Amino acid sequence: MSVLGIPILENLYPSTMDMWPLEAKEFNRNWQFYENLKQGRLTTTKCKDCGLVSWPPRVICPECYSENLEYVDLPSKGKIIVFSEEVRGVPLGFESPLIHAVIDLGANPVRRVLSRIVNCPAGVLKRGDEVQLSVFPVPAMPIDKGKLGTVMFERVFFAFEPIKK
Amino acid sequence: MARHAVILAGGQCKWGVREAHLVDLFQEGAKACFDDIPTLKPKDVDGLIVASSYAGRCSFQVNTAPVVAERVGVKPTSICTRVDVLCAGGSTAIILAKGLVEAGMADIVMVTGGEKLYTPQKWEVFYSELASVDHDWDGTNGMGLPPPFFSLTAQEHMMHYGTTKEQLAAVSVANYNYAATNPVAQMQKTLTLEEAMSAPIVVPPLTLYDCCPITDGAAACIITTDEIARKFSDRPLVYIRGTAQVCLNSVSANFPGAHLADWKHTKLAGEKAYAMAKVGPGDIKVAQTHDCFSISEVIEVEEFGFCKKGEGGEFCGSKQIEIGGKVPVNTDGGLLSCGHPFGATGIRQGTEIMKQLQGRARHQVEGADIALTHNLSGANAEHTVLIYGREPVK
Repeated sequence: MSVLGIPILENLYPSTMDMWPLEAKEFNRNWQFYENLKQGRLTTTKCKDCGLVSWPPRVICPECYSENLEYVDLPSKGKIIVFSEEVRGVPLGFESPLIHAVIDLGANPVRRVLSRIVNCPAGVLKRGDEVQLSVFPVPAMPIDKGKLGTVMFERVFFAFEPIKK
Repeated sequence: MARHAVILAGGQCKWGVREAHLVDLFQEGAKACFDDIPTLKPKDVDGLIVASSYAGRCSFQVNTAPVVAERVGVKPTSICTRVDVLCAGGSTAIILAKGLVEAGMADIVMVTGGEKLYTPQKWEVFYSELASVDHDWDGTNGMGLPPPFFSLTAQEHMMHYGTTKEQLAAVSVANYNYAATNPVAQMQKTLTLEEAMSAPIVVPPLTLYDCCPITDGAAACIITTDEIARKFSDRPLVYIRGTAQVCLNSVSANFPGAHLADWKHTKLAGEKAYAMAKVGPGDIKVAQTHDCFSISEVIEVEEFGFCKKGEGGEFCGSKQIEIGGKVPVNTDGGLLSCGHPFGATGIRQGTEIMKQLQGRARHQVEGADIALTHNLSGANAEHTVLIYGREPVK
């Protein structure tokens, strides 16, 4: 696969053009968030010293600067507070309709999480609708392992979807 | 004797979709600035602060300051650096220059900002915008292009305060008409309420004229002390009286307000800048607030105290932002019509306010003596306020 206009980038992976997080352990100390997500769990970090639950996850507590953190589960169901629907002009990487919503997951610090609503056509969502976590695969990330060659690291990300009644 | 920072001169090149390289734009911006003050030469400048956020992304150029210094013919000896605060880069550079000249660490600082956002393939123009928000947590939700975020903001303002689409359109109409005769604006056309109300949909309730365009462009201004300024110009001095920059969150889920139309960080930035400037909302005769979207201006006039919280729609819809109104806002056309090359915008605003306070603006506000500029950066993640005046703070 060549990169148009830049033949030297044939078969090379420019991470600076990657819209998804570098989720692998080699590049991200919050890699466990994504491993939990692969198990269908939405999690974040909680400080074992001062008790603060942070969103998004951290490697150091922003309140007391403790490094003694643990992953805790967040609610995977919530209610739509407000949403927007973009039907035309959806940017590269996303499908129409691109639906954004402020979702109340019912607990701090995720009472107003801004996420995407997937598996939902335009024009059917209503404020107050219940939604649930939806985990989906995103393109694997090629990591150069030297003599071992290139390893493809599987990745996932999350959004929310309407709960079928 | 205390050193007081002033904005001595300023200018911008033609903004829009430009057939030019980033460094070409910086040269044009510098020329526009020096054209505004023929007595000042590039050799007189001892400091340079360059505001550009997308130089690294769209022009493959980091460490931009030496590149700009060389091309615009200045040889800095006190400071030569770049700042990146996205939409507030220019205002931030002015704040830093004020600090440097008042501390005696620099004497005459050129503050310049510019962006070349239109790349040869259209997909990259929009794709690169993913870098404007918290990459892993908001970019991944397709929040790079801001209309969805400001659609949610507008809806919550409508839900909580009863603001109407017509009131949003009134902001677009005012700002387009201010820019209709501005030769360096991206959009130079008059706009009627009917046209604004029947414009193509972007993300409901936002339509075409509710959203600022993507813009290539540059601007530059000169920050120095009042004493030095008097050697170069006999125009009225325009002091930078107060500044503030507030950041309370990055990821959108941690937004500091009770809802997306409650801009606590904006209010705090205004209060801090007012206190430093020793003025209040009632003293502001003209303002340049960050109208990236029509709804932004509606909320900003509330948070800066030009009207009560929740009454921004009524304020804008009743022509209070136009000449003759309570506080004329974005008198050169604002972001909606001038366009928004991120790092250059604060310099455009500062230059317009300088002209207003010197009595030489295109749409002059009579008796303007105290004025405010404001920027919002990213997905409403940071707010920057400057207050200018004809007198220094005593």
